Amino acid sequence: MWQNHSLFSWLCGYEAQRKQMLKRAPEGALKEFLSVPFPAVNTPYSSLEILAVDFETTGLHAVNDKLLSVGFVTLKNNQIALGTSYHQVIKTVGDLQADNVLIHQITDDIKNRGLQLRSVVEKLLEALAGKVMLVHFARIEKQFLTQACIELYGMAPVWPIIDTLMVAKRRMDNRDVSYDPSELRLTPLRDKFGLPEHYGHNALNDAIATAELLMVQVNNMPKPSEVELGDLLL
Amino acid sequence: MDTALSEICTFVAAIPPFDKLPNETLETVIKEMSICYMRGGESLPPKGITDQRLYIVKKGALSYFSSDDELLGKYAERDICSRFCRKNQAEEVYVVTDEDTLLYSIPYDHFTETVKDFPDVLSFLAETYEERLNKKVSTLNEEAIINSSLMNTTIEDFYHAPAATVEASTSIQNAAIKMSDLGFSCLVVVSDDTDPVKNNPVGIITDKDIRRRCVAKGLDISVPVTEIMTADMATIDIGNSAYDALMMMTHKHIHHLPVTDDGVLAGMVTSTDLMNNEGHNAVNITSMVHKAKSVDALVEISELLPKLQVRMAKLGTTADHVGKSISAITMAFTIRLIKMAEEVNGPAPVPYAWLAAGSQARQEQFAHSDQDNALIISNEMKPEHDEWFLRLATFVSDGLDRCGFIYCPGDIMATNKQWRQTQKIWDTYFETWVSKPHPKALLNSSVFFDLTTVYGDTSLLESVRDNMLKATQKNTLFIAHMSKNALQLRPPLGFFRDFVLVQDGENKNVLDLKHNGIAPIVDLARIYALAQGISATNTIERLRKAAGTSSVTKASALNLIDAYEFLGMLRMQHQAQRLMAGKKPNNYLSPKKISKLEREHLKDAFKVIKTMQDARQSAY
Repeated sequence: MWQNHSLFSWLCGYEAQRKQMLKRAPEGALKEFLSVPFPAVNTPYSSLEILAVDFETTGLHAVNDKLLSVGFVTLKNNQIALGTSYHQVIKTVGDLQADNVLIHQITDDIKNRGLQLRSVVEKLLEALAGKVMLVHFARIEKQFLTQACIELYGMAPVWPIIDTLMVAKRRMDNRDVSYDPSELRLTPLRDKFGLPEHYGHNALNDAIATAELLMVQVNNMPKPSEVELGDLLL
Repeated sequence: MDTALSEICTFVAAIPPFDKLPNETLETVIKEMSICYMRGGESLPPKGITDQRLYIVKKGALSYFSSDDELLGKYAERDICSRFCRKNQAEEVYVVTDEDTLLYSIPYDHFTETVKDFPDVLSFLAETYEERLNKKVSTLNEEAIINSSLMNTTIEDFYHAPAATVEASTSIQNAAIKMSDLGFSCLVVVSDDTDPVKNNPVGIITDKDIRRRCVAKGLDISVPVTEIMTADMATIDIGNSAYDALMMMTHKHIHHLPVTDDGVLAGMVTSTDLMNNEGHNAVNITSMVHKAKSVDALVEISELLPKLQVRMAKLGTTADHVGKSISAITMAFTIRLIKMAEEVNGPAPVPYAWLAAGSQARQEQFAHSDQDNALIISNEMKPEHDEWFLRLATFVSDGLDRCGFIYCPGDIMATNKQWRQTQKIWDTYFETWVSKPHPKALLNSSVFFDLTTVYGDTSLLESVRDNMLKATQKNTLFIAHMSKNALQLRPPLGFFRDFVLVQDGENKNVLDLKHNGIAPIVDLARIYALAQGISATNTIERLRKAAGTSSVTKASALNLIDAYEFLGMLRMQHQAQRLMAGKKPNNYLSPKKISKLEREHLKDAFKVIKTMQDARQSAY
């Protein structure tokens, strides 16, 4: 399993897989995404290009549930450039569940005015090329993007991910004090670091909130200027 | 706009000057923004940023210091730091994060391009604090012009023209017939047609003159009006404001004022005109005071004073105008009380003058202020005369107290023997204060450097003042001591979150508008006036007259006037709010109640004061 490899070989594995997949990928957005090399594992945080991403979905099951909206923004040089922000609702098939609508505030009306899944995923892949994806609790984004690519291109790519939840978890595990898993959620973590309240359950808002959290996490590490991609990867 | 960015949009849109931008422009500005994060104790700009930027604190705090490490101020949530907007600008100061801080940064070049159609927004950020304050005060004054009819209507706008006249040879009876026909209570007497200078105004005749000087005295009604007219009449030039007319009428207790244009009689303005122009106003109250028959009646009228102040504040009248009106009314109360005392005690044994000191003398009084007064008595005074003057002082002082002008806590009142003295003694007082200055004594006597005659022989004070000003101009040690005292009251640096940030970096809960803003300017103006031999007592007038002398440059004097008017306006509004809520007015403002924009203007005003105080300090 890749978890057992050292970080270096792990990323080399990703690079190798990327090259393999590039050969098989169909012409189009996926192929273009795979044709850009991933950043090197020793890239310093300050020059790393990071794309903070968040999805709103109709549920937690990647196969049965659908992607509802995508939000992302670039974090580079310890700055979140709001000009790079993107937010798009997707026109998924079928009616929405009322209890979910309450959470993400995307109604059937809004959804039906959204874009097709393909054009949103293409935008995301285009923005993600050559960057590291940043998410909070990677499973959702990882599974839903994988599933979307399988539907659209017949195959799923690989890509490196930084997960602020795991960054926080490693820090807490190292301290050897017990903690409640709920402390690892985005809002409690932001609170802990003194970040302002944010309006959650909007994909772009959560992406920005996650990028802010990573800035704080890195700057609170013992030697922020020496932090490299390898220190942050999932 | 996206929900996420609309959250940021809402945050930024509430911060002046961004509140002036339309939505689409604001959205463009937001898209140009970056979010930065800095740990506590780091220097701005954040690492990796090399271009000129504007910063807004989203969370956290910054402190800025002069190059010699003096704390100049702080920024907290929603504050804009514009020190890194232009090259070289940041060199004089440095900015450090006090705590972990989340910043929104806007590249300044892009920003200037985006908001180029909104010069107000750009100028707000680019202007110096003096420029910004001046603009604010100009706007306030413009609003006052629109709102306050009296202050800013010229006499030309509502005088009666031509003035009704009678020739000097007209009989009293014929003059009375003409007045009845016209329905006027007053005529201007002009020289006869046959005179070389025909129609030259020589006097004025009113209903009252006919009643008191003719009918009551049994004078023949066929004698010429010149027998009963007031020859030495006051006139006012047509170029003055209606407010000036009010002041002159209040001061001279007259209800009719002939208007001249270039020295030639042009018409007449009456107190009725002014009253119609401004219903419940100073003239109205003043005329009620003149008619009051008893102290009880005066007490009743005095209850209108806070109402007048509130009304004027609501109209957007300038603090200067309110101060002058309330001072004029206080003067009327005092004069009425003096006359009542004279009715009871008989005429004064020797000439004297009743003096007002402090804010009333400066014409800067507000309702509910305490009384500061004194008596200056002719050198002919004999020791046995003092009993009469003590009785006068006690009657007037008690009356004023009942009318809401409470006894002076520092006992600066004519009832105090020390301040009820002959002209000669007053001369020696000033001589001692000026030629042998003692800081503590000066602190207690500074109120006497703002003196005015309320009633009586004005020449008594004038000669004392002349001697005093001759001495103060020459005495640099005296000016140095006055300056030192004046520098004891310092303005705060600004605000930090909902606190007032003072010199040593401490936070206070309230802003004392009087001691930390208005009084320092009053003190500076007094020093300039004394150093330059300026006899004016009103702060704005002193600053205008001192402008461009060796004491203060023209630009600095104008900056101080702006700061003074702005602080005065805030105080007046604050007091009006308290009065309306049935509370006693005070000078304490809670930062929580000061809007974001007002805070910016306050900071600018503080900076003006600090700059002038620092200049004063280095001069001595």
